[in-house]
Amino acid sequence: MIPLNPPRIKRAVRWFDVRHRRTGMWAYSLNRITSIILFGYLYLHLAVLSILARGPGSWDSFMSLARSRVFLSLDVFLLAAILIHGLNGVRVVLTGMGYGVRMQKLLFAGVMLLAVLLWGTAAIKIYGS
Amino acid sequence: MENPFAREPRPSVSCLWQAATGMALLFLLGLHFVAQHFVAAGGLRSFSDVVSYLRNPVILGLELLFLVVVTSHALLGVRSILFDFGLSARMQQRVSKTLTLIGVLTATYGVWLTWVIIQ
Repeated sequence: MIPLNPPRIKRAVRWFDVRHRRTGMWAYSLNRITSIILFGYLYLHLAVLSILARGPGSWDSFMSLARSRVFLSLDVFLLAAILIHGLNGVRVVLTGMGYGVRMQKLLFAGVMLLAVLLWGTAAIKIYGS
Repeated sequence: MENPFAREPRPSVSCLWQAATGMALLFLLGLHFVAQHFVAAGGLRSFSDVVSYLRNPVILGLELLFLVVVTSHALLGVRSILFDFGLSARMQQRVSKTLTLIGVLTATYGVWLTWVIIQ
C-alpha cells in the first residue's frame, strides 16, 4: 500500500495549482490534466467498442445514439483534449531536444493557437456531419 | 541562452519511449480519427463498414500498432504521475510491473476484440 500522508499528496498535486506560476507550469499542468482525461477515455472507448463483438444489431443501434448532439459534443470536447495534449507534447519534445528553448512561451502560444484553429475546423465538420 | 535541459541527467528509456510513442501517435491517432470519424458518412462506420475496413491487412496492422502505441504511451503517463508521489524504489518497481501487466491485458483484449469483429 502507498502511505497517503499529506506531504506526499501535496507534492503529487503541486503541478495542479497554477496560481502565480509561469507559462511553462501552465503548459505542464494542461498536459497532465488532458492526459488524465485521455487515459479515462481510452478505456471508455475500448469498453464501447466491445459492442461490436455483440454483432451488427447492437452496433447499429448504438450508432443512432452516438450521432446524437450530446455524443457529438463529447467528441468535440475529446478532440480539444487530444489537440492540446498532442501539440503541447510536440513542444515538449522540441524543447527537450534543444529547439526553440529561447522562445518557449511563443512556441506554447503558437501550438495552442494551432490547436484552437484545428479544433474549430473539426468541430464544424463534426456538427455538420 | 543555455539550454536548461542540457544540464539534466540523460533521459531514461521510458522517457524516450514516451516521446517516441507520442510522436508516433500524431500519425496513428490522426489516421484513426480521420478514417473512423471524418471519412465515414455521418462520422461513424456501420458494422459492415467496420468489418470490411479492418479486413484490410494494412489497416489492421496500423490499428493494432495504434493500440499498442497508445496503450504504452498512456500507461507510461500514469507511471510518471504515480512516481510523483515520491514512491520508494521497491514501490516504483511494483507500480511498473502492475502497469506492464495492465498494458499487456489491454493489448490482448484489443487484439481479441479485433479478431472477433473480423471473423
